[in-house]
Amino acid sequence: MSNHLLSLTTFLPILGVLLLLFIPKDSKGVLRGVALAVTVVTFLVSLPILTGFQTNAEFQFLENVPWIAAGPFVMRYNVGIDGISLWLVILTTFIMPLAVLSTWTAVEEKVKEYMICLLLLETGMLGAFISLDLFLFYIFWEVMLIPMYFIIGIWGGKNKIYAAVKFFIYTMVGSLLMLVALIFLYFKGLDAGFSNFGLLQFFDLRLDPATQTWLFLAFALAFAIKVPMFPLHTWLPDAHTEAPTAGSVILAAILLKMGTYGYVRFALPLFPDAAHRFTPLIATLAVIGIIYAALVAMVQEDVKKLVAYSSVAHLGFVMLGVFAFNTQGITGGMLQMLNHGVSTGALFLIVGFIYERRHTRLITDFGGLSKQMPIFATIFMIVTLSSIGLPGTNGFVGEFLILLGSFESSLRWWAVVASSGVILSAVYMLWMFQRVMFGELDNPKNQTLSDLNAREIAIMLPLLALIFIMGVYPNPFIEKMDPAVQKLVAQTKPLGMSARQMPAMQMQGLPAGHPAIPGMAVPAVEQATPAVADPNEVK
Amino acid sequence: MTKADLMAFMPLIILAGGSVVVLLAGAVRPGGWLYELALAFVAAALVWTIALPATAAMPGLAVTPFSRFFAVFLDGTGLVALLLASGYNKRRGIVGEEYPATLLFALAGMGAACAASDLLMLFLGLEAFTFAFYILVAVERDSVRGGEAGLKYLLNGTLSAAILAMGIALVYCSRGTLKLAELALQAAPPEPLFLAGVCLVLVGLAFKLSWVPAHLWTPDVYQGAPAPVTALLSTASKGASVAALLLVLPLAAVWRGGHDILWGLALATLVCGNMAALVQSSIKRLLAWSSVAQMGYVALAFVALPAGGARAALFYIVAYAAAGLASFGAVAVLADGTDRDAIEQYRGLGYRNPLAGAALAVALFSLAGIPPAAGFMAKFAVFSAALRAGETALAVVGVLSALVAVFFYLRVVVALYMRPADGMEAAVRPLSISEGVALAIPTAAILFLGLYPSPLLDLLIRISR
Repeated sequence: MSNHLLSLTTFLPILGVLLLLFIPKDSKGVLRGVALAVTVVTFLVSLPILTGFQTNAEFQFLENVPWIAAGPFVMRYNVGIDGISLWLVILTTFIMPLAVLSTWTAVEEKVKEYMICLLLLETGMLGAFISLDLFLFYIFWEVMLIPMYFIIGIWGGKNKIYAAVKFFIYTMVGSLLMLVALIFLYFKGLDAGFSNFGLLQFFDLRLDPATQTWLFLAFALAFAIKVPMFPLHTWLPDAHTEAPTAGSVILAAILLKMGTYGYVRFALPLFPDAAHRFTPLIATLAVIGIIYAALVAMVQEDVKKLVAYSSVAHLGFVMLGVFAFNTQGITGGMLQMLNHGVSTGALFLIVGFIYERRHTRLITDFGGLSKQMPIFATIFMIVTLSSIGLPGTNGFVGEFLILLGSFESSLRWWAVVASSGVILSAVYMLWMFQRVMFGELDNPKNQTLSDLNAREIAIMLPLLALIFIMGVYPNPFIEKMDPAVQKLVAQTKPLGMSARQMPAMQMQGLPAGHPAIPGMAVPAVEQATPAVADPNEVK
Repeated sequence: MTKADLMAFMPLIILAGGSVVVLLAGAVRPGGWLYELALAFVAAALVWTIALPATAAMPGLAVTPFSRFFAVFLDGTGLVALLLASGYNKRRGIVGEEYPATLLFALAGMGAACAASDLLMLFLGLEAFTFAFYILVAVERDSVRGGEAGLKYLLNGTLSAAILAMGIALVYCSRGTLKLAELALQAAPPEPLFLAGVCLVLVGLAFKLSWVPAHLWTPDVYQGAPAPVTALLSTASKGASVAALLLVLPLAAVWRGGHDILWGLALATLVCGNMAALVQSSIKRLLAWSSVAQMGYVALAFVALPAGGARAALFYIVAYAAAGLASFGAVAVLADGTDRDAIEQYRGLGYRNPLAGAALAVALFSLAGIPPAAGFMAKFAVFSAALRAGETALAVVGVLSALVAVFFYLRVVVALYMRPADGMEAAVRPLSISEGVALAIPTAAILFLGLYPSPLLDLLIRISR
């Protein structure tokens, strides 16, 4: 596969930026239209990637050309995707048109700069997902930072500057330490005979435990801030609350995935032994995050803050699944990343809709909206249920696989505690929904609210469709990512594996000829979803 | 001196001769096209250096690939600074031929310092451009700040010149020669007298590079001098001093103490510069302290000299110069004839003057070391050289102080874009062409070097060999 589809997708938004620069800043309609057209075209261009993707564990759509070569440093423009990054690329291109549409009327000032920021952000995010060169990844990872900082800081709410600076500083702390670790890792690679920053070769580099520990900690910190994991999550509620709707949607749907994707693509396969050593710690933080964020979400008065905290809880689930180190867990984590992108993105859009009408997000200012806005109520209900993880919606499949995977792994007790988070999420989401939508329509300001208009319904429809498709028939999603997940499971098997971890590992990672340890796990998997059992049969 | 030598030294002759021509032209036709004339001379020197890859040597001076690289770098910064100054000076009532003539003289002095092959010529070059800056800093005669800045720079400058001269004298006493090549080759175990001389030379150069604790003049001078002068002072003169240091350092190569002194200077400069910048409320002082901090990264590169630190230092100084020109240039444009200096007064200016605002923002992101700006590649080069040389502790200090730096650079960006303007002045003066070009060149250089640093890095590998 030697075409330039990935580069085209990634850099189309940049072309859009160049186009926008030549449009006078007062013709706002044209600016919005061009930005929307660019994101839609980017999405359309990304579709052949999905259809042309071969379901195997190889990296595809590879492009590898020299970029920088200076002294000991050789960086290459080395991109490609596997089943893990494929869906994140598609999710990004899919969410962006919706994000542009979502602030069609809400952003009236500096439309040109706003659209330029959104498009730059899209390039940064896509680039980070497709990079197979450590240095290139770092560049894209940092490039995302500046447009997002401006989006929060310029078009945000009352406390925007505080939120924007906090977002920037938090991310920089992690990034800079990761940079040092990156350079260090590269020198280790040079000693082992590598000649460039290409990611894939570093997977075979088995470092000594001490080095792995330090490098893992540096990478893990950068990603943990981005996820965000408890106790590094405090930037997120601020950033979400202050950002304009599109900013929140992108932040929740895609930027947070950078953290979890970073673990899956970099931290785990690069430093498997250290990752295993820190599994109890990270799983504990993930579970604390799930429970703590759910409890905090329960007492929020601001709908947007509530959704932000629910994000922290959801991503705690993703981390738990990823650190189960087995197929179900990682598949569930990956799926939950997509689910979270769809349903939390949708929740932020919904919050944006009512904020645009009432300019308040306090739960107490609402009540009984369902009478006034029936379409809105229906959509809100579906999204709420999806966020809770009701069977039949997308949220269920991901959470179930995660709990299953972690229960089968060494994280059994963590999984038990985490399942209470599922109940808590039902409590805070439904309670919020009840207070906003049901009851008396007693606030006179709410009695004149108009229901969703055609644009808003058009934004929500694709998301609603996905909620059901991914909930009822998740097979296509899981199938495409499965070989890559299998490979990851094999890569992250520690050398000095303790006996206690053995059964869970063996079940998926080892070849079929290996005597499988009999256990209750296998039938459970087959009952859960046929899709998860498939790969085992293929093997 | 043969004809070939003459051709090779022509850029220096053009600059020095041009300085005299501009002075005479100003006397004959006051208020004529003096800036344009000076620009033509600098451009001629620049084109000549690029077009004629000659090497030559004469007593005290040698044109090498190293000196030609610096000649291009210095003439480029000089060109941008002249473009900036032409409009700025007109608005501020700085008239007369002395400004462009002195600037040409400063460029000639810097060029000589970079091409020096013995310590005496190095001293002459360094002091020639410092002397020119004594005049340029105080060129705005009615300004109180300008006078104060001029005096401070003069006192500090003469002190450093005295130290430098003393150091050179001690080196000559102990070794009996001033030729850099011979001094570096003399492998004799360094005796105290020689080491004292080298240390004094280092201290003298530390003044020019505003390394802590020889940095105290920097904020006052940068704040008081006209912004285009500061732009040149903070970039070209730093570049020339880095070149001088690279010429001198082989003298101390065998002595471990040289490394330790640089280590201490780097640590103090990184910490002190970044911390002090945190609490500034004047944008020029903030940029001044930031330039102190940036020189700390150059010092870090010098500490890692055996592991490719020279290349890192050179890349860093080029990236820094681009950012320095863009930031001080943007300040010159945005201040616009007023005494606008507090960061608070820059609120909302990013929208009123988009190009200047963008140039300042890009420059600040570059100084903060955030990709895709050149400053990131430069920091990457420095940190990797430091890690390669085993200076892990200092590299971590550098990384942490870079983090602190992000905070104060963001303060300016916040003011530019995220706070509402005061809404007092309605009329916005459109940028003149010269200002637009002067801002666009360094901004484009920042982005280009950040995205595609290969050509420059290749060049640096060749000349720093």
